[in-house]
Amino acid sequence: MAKERLVVIGGDAAGMSAASQAKRRRPDLEIVVFERSPHTSFSA
Amino acid sequence: MRDLRSGRVVWEPYDHLVIATGAVPICPDLPGSDAVAICGVNTLQSGIELRRILDDGGAKKGVVVGGGYIGLEMAEALVRRGLEVSLIDRSAEVMGTLDDDMGQLVSQALRDFGVTLYLEEALTGFDTAGGKVTGVVTDKRSLPVDIVVLGLGVRPNTALAAAAGIPLGEKGSIRVNGRMETGMAGVWAAGDCAESFHLVSRRPFYIALGTVANRQGRVAGINLGGGYATFPGVVGTAVTKICQVEVARTGLQEKELGMLGIEWASAVIKSRTKAGYFPGAGEITVKVLAEKGSGRLLGGQIVGMEGSAKRIDTLATCLHAGLTVEEMINLDLGYAPPFSPVWDPVVTAAREVVKKL
Repeated sequence: MAKERLVVIGGDAAGMSAASQAKRRRPDLEIVVFERSPHTSFSA
Repeated sequence: MRDLRSGRVVWEPYDHLVIATGAVPICPDLPGSDAVAICGVNTLQSGIELRRILDDGGAKKGVVVGGGYIGLEMAEALVRRGLEVSLIDRSAEVMGTLDDDMGQLVSQALRDFGVTLYLEEALTGFDTAGGKVTGVVTDKRSLPVDIVVLGLGVRPNTALAAAAGIPLGEKGSIRVNGRMETGMAGVWAAGDCAESFHLVSRRPFYIALGTVANRQGRVAGINLGGGYATFPGVVGTAVTKICQVEVARTGLQEKELGMLGIEWASAVIKSRTKAGYFPGAGEITVKVLAEKGSGRLLGGQIVGMEGSAKRIDTLATCLHAGLTVEEMINLDLGYAPPFSPVWDPVVTAAREVVKKL
């Protein structure tokens, strides 16, 4: 069975917090984060 | 999804989606507003670009439009970079998240730091030459300028969500429930693009702050990961530092209370950040607002020297707990001369409000 997939649009405070919490609880989850700028988590 | 480097467009399937698209600066649609050297500052990248313009040298006069957190912090930064700085705001005082009597203290601090304020003036356009900004035009004057910083606030970046048919709420932010789920199955939202809830007014509320974004993102992630968490809401707490002066606010301010039809009493007190005789004690001004009759704490504002701003957290916690100003009088707060007068300034303010209920 294919892995369940989480897509996050936006790699700053909210998006990265959500991604990291989800990954900690469900290491099996495949997570992809999209960010328009060259930087992530700049306000997190 | 379009890869901005290759231009390639790809389809990304998902089982769960988090929309965390943030907010975008409000840009006036005025003559000349697309000129070079008119800068909004809301991402690391936009800050880098602004800094590059300053590093290139030659900029001598800066104008900041908007007297909120971004505008004031940028005005200070430009002064520190050696520019001659003016600030334009439509209101009578800067820092519109404070009542005018407290905002006036911040206006004065800026003037003392060398910023020229043009208050109760509206931006009407920009002068440009060769695609670059050369002047800022208001309804009262025209100011020559080398660089303009816009601090006119932000709006939620929700065009994508709206196009997808996801229900929006306050100020166009994405409507979410307590677990940060949107109105569309499998889609979550968090941060500056998402709606919040005001725990004092008990109404939907929009606020764009990194603190809130971190908490909302955490809640969305826990729920996505199979756990259970809720985001109850905010009380509207924010702090900043402009020049030597610390500024803090929480809860509802007078204009919000007026719109909500809540009757309030308020008190403004001046105290010290340490025991009065202790070296380095600085002035602190605290305003506390409480509901007439019930005495329920509604909000507070602080302006003062080092050691002032984080005292707002006492007031914010009292708002979360739903305390009255009478209950605040007996709060068992820490005291020793290096930290506080015997009566903490926020409690002194609460005591004054009690007399007016």
